[in-house]
Amino acid sequence: MRLLRAYLRGLWDGKLLLGYTLLASLSLLILAPFLMIALRSVGKGWFGRLWLPPELTLEWYRWAVEVGNIPEVMKNTLIIGVIAVAVSTVIGIFAGWAFGRRQMPGKEVLMALILLPRMIPPITYALGVAKIFYTLDLVDTYLGVALAHVSVCAPYAILVLSATFEGLDERVLEAAGVCGANTLKRFFYVVLPLIMPGILASMIFSFTHSYNEFTLTLLTYGPHTVTLPIRTYLAVGDGYWEITSAMAVIMVLPSLAILAMIQRRAEPEKLVGGFKGV
Amino acid sequence: MTRFWRAHSSNLTTLLLLFPALAGFFGLFFYPMLLTLILSFRPEGQTAGWTLQNYTRFLRDPDGQWVILLTFLLALGSTALSVLLSVPLALILREKVRGHRFYRLMILVPLVIPGLIGALGLLLFFGTRGWFNLFLMQFIPFIRRPVAVNYTIHGLMFFYVWLYFPYTCVTTLSALESLDRSLEEAGEVSGANRWQVLRHIVLPLITPGILAGSVLTFMAAFGAFSVPLIAGGNYRPLAVEIYKQIAVPIPARWSAASAIAVVMGALQVVFLALYMRLVRRAGGAAAGGAGAGGVR
Amino acid sequence: MTDAMIEFRDVTKRYGPLLANDHLSLTIRRGELMTLLGPSGCGKTTALRCLTGYVRPDEGRVFIDGADVTDLPTHQRELGMVFQNFALFPHMTVQDNVGFPLMIRNLSRAERDARVAQALRLVRLEGYAAHYPRQLSGGQQQRVGLARALVYRPKVLLLDEPLSNLDAKLREEMRFEIKEVVTRLGITALYVTHDQGEALALSDRVAIMNRGRLEQVGTPEEIYEHPQSRFVAEFIGLSNFLEGSVLAVDGETMRVGIGELGVTVPALPNVGAGQRVLLFLRPSEVELLRPGDPGGTNVFEARVEKTTYLGDTIDYRLVFGQDLPLRVQTDAQRRFAPGAEVRIRLPRIRCWAMTSG
Repeated sequence: MRLLRAYLRGLWDGKLLLGYTLLASLSLLILAPFLMIALRSVGKGWFGRLWLPPELTLEWYRWAVEVGNIPEVMKNTLIIGVIAVAVSTVIGIFAGWAFGRRQMPGKEVLMALILLPRMIPPITYALGVAKIFYTLDLVDTYLGVALAHVSVCAPYAILVLSATFEGLDERVLEAAGVCGANTLKRFFYVVLPLIMPGILASMIFSFTHSYNEFTLTLLTYGPHTVTLPIRTYLAVGDGYWEITSAMAVIMVLPSLAILAMIQRRAEPEKLVGGFKGV
Repeated sequence: MTRFWRAHSSNLTTLLLLFPALAGFFGLFFYPMLLTLILSFRPEGQTAGWTLQNYTRFLRDPDGQWVILLTFLLALGSTALSVLLSVPLALILREKVRGHRFYRLMILVPLVIPGLIGALGLLLFFGTRGWFNLFLMQFIPFIRRPVAVNYTIHGLMFFYVWLYFPYTCVTTLSALESLDRSLEEAGEVSGANRWQVLRHIVLPLITPGILAGSVLTFMAAFGAFSVPLIAGGNYRPLAVEIYKQIAVPIPARWSAASAIAVVMGALQVVFLALYMRLVRRAGGAAAGGAGAGGVR
Repeated sequence: MTDAMIEFRDVTKRYGPLLANDHLSLTIRRGELMTLLGPSGCGKTTALRCLTGYVRPDEGRVFIDGADVTDLPTHQRELGMVFQNFALFPHMTVQDNVGFPLMIRNLSRAERDARVAQALRLVRLEGYAAHYPRQLSGGQQQRVGLARALVYRPKVLLLDEPLSNLDAKLREEMRFEIKEVVTRLGITALYVTHDQGEALALSDRVAIMNRGRLEQVGTPEEIYEHPQSRFVAEFIGLSNFLEGSVLAVDGETMRVGIGELGVTVPALPNVGAGQRVLLFLRPSEVELLRPGDPGGTNVFEARVEKTTYLGDTIDYRLVFGQDLPLRVQTDAQRRFAPGAEVRIRLPRIRCWAMTSG
């Protein structure tokens, strides 16, 4: 307790110098691991006490692509992602419309129920999902793995789209009606443009989750449905760090692009609830 | 019939709209959970009969107890460390120091990167050939050999902190930023030095925010799977233990895995309930008893 | 011991190109209630923050009770402060809020309780000790703020727009309450506000600031009746301004030519014939006469352009001389319709000439 006090007190009093040291070392600590992955994926003969690889090569990427079968794996990941996004978005639009625009008894309870999967460790229901998929022969199919992903993606889609629909201004629809637009026109010219950002956000969220999803994939994948995270995990098991690193770089680059994208638009606080593939 | 339809059409439409979500919920969450629960009471490999053996075997086994203890140790330890790291960090970042945008971005990095990749990078960084040990051996006297971090329990705990502290940090920061600065000014004018202001005014007021963030860190750490799977070595928390039961033995021990899953789910729910109560109490105290009930 | 309790000596503070305080020098006497008055952005808040230590002046020094506190941290300055947004600690009861400065000073529990009770009695909040701030009304919260500022008997009480978050009726009430408490304790107080009504009602002296500079320091009467600049005159109330040049100085009085008219006003020191001056006159001080009334010094013909009924007074827009506009407010007993010919008298001692624009 006394140590703790001294620690906090020191930070409070020491102000900037200590603060900058802390910030700088933290940033270093966060960035260095990625830098090491990147360097190892292009380094050759990096042994012993060397800070940097003595030689650069793209050999490990060739290995990753040829032996790790990356194109095939990438194709699997994308197909599964697209199915998962499609299903989640459909679920999300319907449920979002219901939650955001309609009155009904027990709405809060239903909402809480549907968001419950976020509160439970995924491995616990992944187990049951896998067991069911074994009996239904859904294991090692695109549809099966994608459906497993939906259990993670859909709650986020529902959350985002409920908020979107709730934010839709009734008066705008009325105004459109007054202007003489029929239902169909109203939907395409007024509603759709208004909810499009929400749908896009929900799709990006869902896709990122599916793309990064590890636990549920691990329990439902098979030789024909290896995804990027699984391929990387398997490579870790093989013990070739260079090839693993190359795969990790291939896998993480799209995530970084997405980070850059959302950093510009979204507030960080909002991400905390939402953004984790594990 | 038409009358009935008219009276209930609105509710029926709502139900229809919710149908896909409910189907997904029951098919992909509720039924799997139920199945897991049922399986956990079935004798291993059978589809009929009831037994408590799966539970008793796991809970009586010292290894099983160690797994539970380890899970809590890692989750609570990393949560506590995250709080210790986040509070000063948030205090600094609040001051809009030069480059604070960059540092804020840095804090988000572990949130957005898949845990698998983070763990891989950390294993490389702390490995015998990693920069961490290179630095120690070249710049710190008396360290001649690599220091073991990977696959140790403290190493694993550090990985957890690295991966999951942003939840705590971001919420703490937003709690701090919504704090009225004039309160601190009032404290200082009243004669409190910076430390006393922190201790008597700032900390009590941001405690609900810290706790709310630390719940997220705790949940992530408690349920962590990919990270301990590749970076845990011999330390297997509950999630990994469940997976091992179906991945290692042939045939897979579904019932044993299910029993552990039920234990894990139950522990998390119970612990979360307790934690939420604590958070609510702290929130109530900080909000000044919120409303008429606040008179002590 | 000097008579000065607070002294700003040549305090200058810049925010980039903006000069928030421009060589501000101001002395506040022991036991005096001084108001720092000015529009928002005039630098009064910066001056206050130089005093609390939240802002460090770029140049100049700040003294409290003869001691240079420019480099002293806030918590060592022995100040009491009432905030615009109350700034009560939401997680503490009224008792703990008021007792906070005492707790920080390590007073014993018993003495703390006694002094908190005393302070609460002073602001008439006995019986509210166990309440939390959010259970109190705005006025009560601000009284808690006042009690907290006074409880440890600081050398100086600072009030930063303490009434601007209260509604109009309460503001008036609190104004007198603050005045009374401060007077009873005999404490030196610096009151910052942009409301001239508050400043006039409360203060022993008023310091008016504009664009980082002091425009004028004086008692409310001096400020109201003898403003030294157009800014002060306009800021402190309704005013008429008449531009003219001095025709002749005759001992105590001088004649100022405004167009073709000659107005007799009190003489200004160091002002001679030919110099341009600005005459200033409050609308309520112009006398309206009937056309038949006898003439005399400073009596002129005028015509009513527009009237506005304000209840207890009537507001007239007149023109006189060569289309000179003049605003007049009189009681509602005598009424003139627009277009009516009237006579006005500009009371000699109420016409105040100033040289600065």
